[in-house]
Amino acid sequence: MGAVCILTPVVIAAWPAFSAVVAAAATSLGYSVVAEGIERVNEEVRGKTASTEQRIQLEIANSQLVTNQLGRDQRISVARNGVTVTFSCDARGHAEVCVTGTGQTEEALRAFGEELSQRVVQRYVYQRVMDELRAHQFTVVEEEVEADQSIRLKVRRWEN
Amino acid sequence: MAQREFDITIGPGGEVKLHIHGFKGKSCLEVVRFFEKMVGKVKSQENTSEFYEPEETVRFHIDQRQ
Repeated sequence: MGAVCILTPVVIAAWPAFSAVVAAAATSLGYSVVAEGIERVNEEVRGKTASTEQRIQLEIANSQLVTNQLGRDQRISVARNGVTVTFSCDARGHAEVCVTGTGQTEEALRAFGEELSQRVVQRYVYQRVMDELRAHQFTVVEEEVEADQSIRLKVRRWEN
Repeated sequence: MAQREFDITIGPGGEVKLHIHGFKGKSCLEVVRFFEKMVGKVKSQENTSEFYEPEETVRFHIDQRQ
């Protein structure tokens, strides 16, 4: 048969590509992009500082984002039902996730942040795998989304 | 012609389970390395009987990530 292995994902992406993945993953979970770029996100945050909102901070494990010097502080914020999730790049280049919301427990915010972060990583991996398989002339002969949201692909190539 | 086939499952958190069919011997390792460069570190690996059959040459080249 060959081999069966499990791989732990590593996210290495330029900011524009990462930001596009965040937007796509967030949309698939019912979020809308509310702000993108430094100024607009800061305005968004300033408008909410007086409220009694809860805030929690997460990090996407094994992530390395590449931004140019001008884009060091780039961010993207998405929102759903009063919960705002902001993705940014910290000083070490890791993807940072800040979840805020009024009337939500820390546990609930953490769960929202983790659900979206996981979807972002899954989407990043899917995109990368599909791009590389196409580049190597593999054909995806089956693609299914399982009940637990896993994506199952059957990939084939004929060789002489 | 030989058929090369993979079953890939991308879990909800991005973890990838890869089942490789049709690659023998060290060529199977080439495939694992190809996926390692593409996805990330191998957490666990179980070789099946085909892995121990006489090897064949398979080459993958993967572009540097942006």
